[in-house]
Amino acid sequence: MTVNLEQLIKEAVEKALEGDMDAINNIEDRVTRSRAKASLVKAKREATKEKTETSLDENSDATSDSKKDKTSNEHISELLIQQFPDDINKELSSKKHIQIQPKNWLVISRYLRDDPASLFDSLQCITGVDLGEESDLEVRYNLHSMTHLHAVEIRISCPRNKAKVPSVESIWRIGDWFERETYDMYGIEFEGHRNLKRILLPEDWEGWPLRKDYEVQETYHGIIVPKVKEGWE
Amino acid sequence: MIVDNLIDWFPTSAAWPGLTFIVAVILCAVPVFIFIAVYALVAIYGELKISSFIQDKVGPMGQGVGLHAWRWGLLQPVADALKLILKEDIIPSSADKKLFILAPFIVFIGAFIAFSALPFSQTLIIADMNIGIFYILAVSSLGVIGIILAGWSSNNKWSLYGAMRSAAQIVSYEIPAALSIVVVIMLTSTMSMQGIIQYQSGLVWGFLPNWLLFNNPFTFLAFFIFFISGVAECNRTPFDIPEAESELVAGAFTEYSGMRYAFFFLSEYANMFVVSGVAATAFMGGWQSPIPGMFNTPGWGLFWFISKSMFLIFMMIWFRWTFPRLRVDQLMDVCWKGFIPISLFNIFGVGIWYLLIG
Amino acid sequence: MGIVKGDQMVLNIGPQHPSTHGVLRLKVVTDGEIVSDIEPIIGYLHRCFEKHCENSTYEQVIPFTDRCDYIASMNNNFGYVVAMEKLMEIKVPDRVEYIRVIMAELNRIASHLLALGVYGLDVGAFTPFLYMFRDRERILDIFELTCGARLLYNYMWVGGLSHDLPVGFVETVYGFLDYFEPKLKEYNEILTYNKIFIERTADVGVLPPEVAISYGVSGPNLRGSGVKWDLRKDEPYSVYERFDFDIPIGEGTVGTTGDCWDRFYVRMLEITESAKILRQALKDLPQDGDVHQAIPKKIRPPKGSIYQRTESPRGDLAYYIISDGSPQPYRLKMRSPAFTALSVLNEISRGWMLSDVIAILGSLDIVLGEIDR
Repeated sequence: MTVNLEQLIKEAVEKALEGDMDAINNIEDRVTRSRAKASLVKAKREATKEKTETSLDENSDATSDSKKDKTSNEHISELLIQQFPDDINKELSSKKHIQIQPKNWLVISRYLRDDPASLFDSLQCITGVDLGEESDLEVRYNLHSMTHLHAVEIRISCPRNKAKVPSVESIWRIGDWFERETYDMYGIEFEGHRNLKRILLPEDWEGWPLRKDYEVQETYHGIIVPKVKEGWE
Repeated sequence: MIVDNLIDWFPTSAAWPGLTFIVAVILCAVPVFIFIAVYALVAIYGELKISSFIQDKVGPMGQGVGLHAWRWGLLQPVADALKLILKEDIIPSSADKKLFILAPFIVFIGAFIAFSALPFSQTLIIADMNIGIFYILAVSSLGVIGIILAGWSSNNKWSLYGAMRSAAQIVSYEIPAALSIVVVIMLTSTMSMQGIIQYQSGLVWGFLPNWLLFNNPFTFLAFFIFFISGVAECNRTPFDIPEAESELVAGAFTEYSGMRYAFFFLSEYANMFVVSGVAATAFMGGWQSPIPGMFNTPGWGLFWFISKSMFLIFMMIWFRWTFPRLRVDQLMDVCWKGFIPISLFNIFGVGIWYLLIG
Repeated sequence: MGIVKGDQMVLNIGPQHPSTHGVLRLKVVTDGEIVSDIEPIIGYLHRCFEKHCENSTYEQVIPFTDRCDYIASMNNNFGYVVAMEKLMEIKVPDRVEYIRVIMAELNRIASHLLALGVYGLDVGAFTPFLYMFRDRERILDIFELTCGARLLYNYMWVGGLSHDLPVGFVETVYGFLDYFEPKLKEYNEILTYNKIFIERTADVGVLPPEVAISYGVSGPNLRGSGVKWDLRKDEPYSVYERFDFDIPIGEGTVGTTGDCWDRFYVRMLEITESAKILRQALKDLPQDGDVHQAIPKKIRPPKGSIYQRTESPRGDLAYYIISDGSPQPYRLKMRSPAFTALSVLNEISRGWMLSDVIAILGSLDIVLGEIDR
């Protein structure tokens, strides 16, 4: 009997890991179900560990963008290499994006906005990415030009324990809120930002929630923060 | 008139000479209070149904069990009133308690005592003072003190905003309203309400009743200025900036609940009746029948007066559900740059008219 | 004569307030009625959308996107599935694409109706609000007929749809359009060309195009400033390039280009354009094609990332999805149009009066669910 149960739980967890939660939810017995859920959480935790250990190799992009983007991207990256040869990391750049060093980012961004060949007047989005528990944090800027109708993605990575990137708030005004959001979630400090504080979370929240090594704080204003939700997964 | 009759009618006791007077006043005040309460219920029901008609919905319709369950939702306003009475009376701990309690009553008193000079019919007027219309203009501005008190004593920023807006608005709009009434007084050369109505008997232009509304172009204009200023004095849309719900939550009344809030509500409706009653008296012939020479008994007089007032109240309700709200500076612009110059010009014009034609 | 300067007062509008459209808090510094500074404080509705996504499978993300912009759930689904299909290189049948466009445009009409009606409410007109809700109700009925839900649909799936169209759907939508199109005249009469409404909104809160672009403002707000930019036309996704429609822009008809009235009126005109698209889509709707045929058995996109923009009723809705090859997204970022629209509030409402701030906020048409995520 016990062997059967173990077997059942194992199968259900395997199925659930592939995305079929019904396998667990359909278990009749409550005790068995909760045991299955517990082992699922465990399995997931291990899986994420594995996941983060394998570094994110996106440069072998399987996706293909529209042709317009590609050509303009190469064009922009050539421009940048001519202007700022030391700041562009050519090895890490690809057709889709340009990897640059944080140091001169403010100058580069001003150049990108004002140069008649690029004219990126609109900052579409700032995305923070955690490349893994052991590796760096990365900020990704999606720029778009309303005049030339081309787009480019800029990536800047910074070390996890000393995450600092120059702020582009003065270049694109929306950078203000986007940078605050990235700071809120990843703890990346944007140097030169005039009002860098949390935006979505309460100001006294601890930790950077979207980092992969984030641990939920134990209590918040004396209220215990629940970590495993009973009866829901 | 009624008060005088009652005083004459009661035997006067030598021991308490004031007693007769007090009894007579109370005997007049109680029916007026009941009238206001009943009228408010009717007006609220009207507001609900008219707004429903305008907004393409059914409104109260009397399904379910309870007070509102009677036919066509007729008892809905009664249920609303009962609900307001039964609600908890909350006084904020940081409020100025005495003023907070006092404020709704001052607002109500302002509207209530104005009723004593309204001529409901030939004989039905509580006190036909020789300065009747002047008296009404004076006491109806008493309400603003109550609103300021309410706003100040609530100790709430929204209330304060509402009170300041309300004060500015009511004080401003009193000027064009009074100036329009001056036009009426110039023509009728009396300030007595009954006197004004009696002036308006007979025909004008051959076929229209001799209401001041139709008397000449200047009075025609004066009527609209008075009525619109009256709407503003009642804080009704499009002039409801003191309690603009989308901006100031509920303005001066934000912190009020239950019975105290009901008093503000009641005063708003009472004020509407006063404004409509004065407009009907001064410009639409009061209790005079629209067909001169017919239906002119006191009973019909009561009917005509109330119908004319109700028609104007219906107009106010119609405004409310049609227009957006003005901004506070635009409101002042309309008053100071629009209405006041026009009413001053009106006074001048009606004087010329009186000299040349009247 | 010197200028009398009073003390300044800090006024908290919200989180509970009739016209903050949700749980937004505005810290307003006022000098009397004049507003000198506004700081929007957001996050009261933060539901950890992005963190949740990292712990759910790709299919499980779709219901979350519903709940971000609960006024236009279909468009949020749409943006996500378009991004996912591009990432996984799935080709979906034409019928599916047409049904998606029909749903998205219906939802755009519903969303704009809500925005316009609530805007009327913000400036004190109650009746237009109820007229527009009356007609929005019919669209929700159509959605209920299609997928059983009225607000949160979970209708578009990666590679397909949850249900095919019900019997008689096309006739129902035609019936709705025939009923609805004349109603626009009614709205214009009661609200758009009302003198008081024009007084309240014309020349108020002018948003110049270059400021709008710098703030990343998009959608009807950007078009209200006179910029002809619509992703459905300029970067067509799905089958939008097959339809013939115009991009209405603000022209400063009653005031300055980019004022509240323009932003309002652009939405009114967009409703007409959506109705135009709907009629074309219904006419060309392919009769055959299985809506479940292209749905993959397992959703495991290849390693890589994608940034896909779509045009939601509020503007430029984008998803940045990073995949590491597992069934769960490694990182999913949603670029919300209302977020950028709200950030411009301080810039355009300084120096206006308290009542105008409400009018400007309403004209930006924000949804807090999407801002806070």
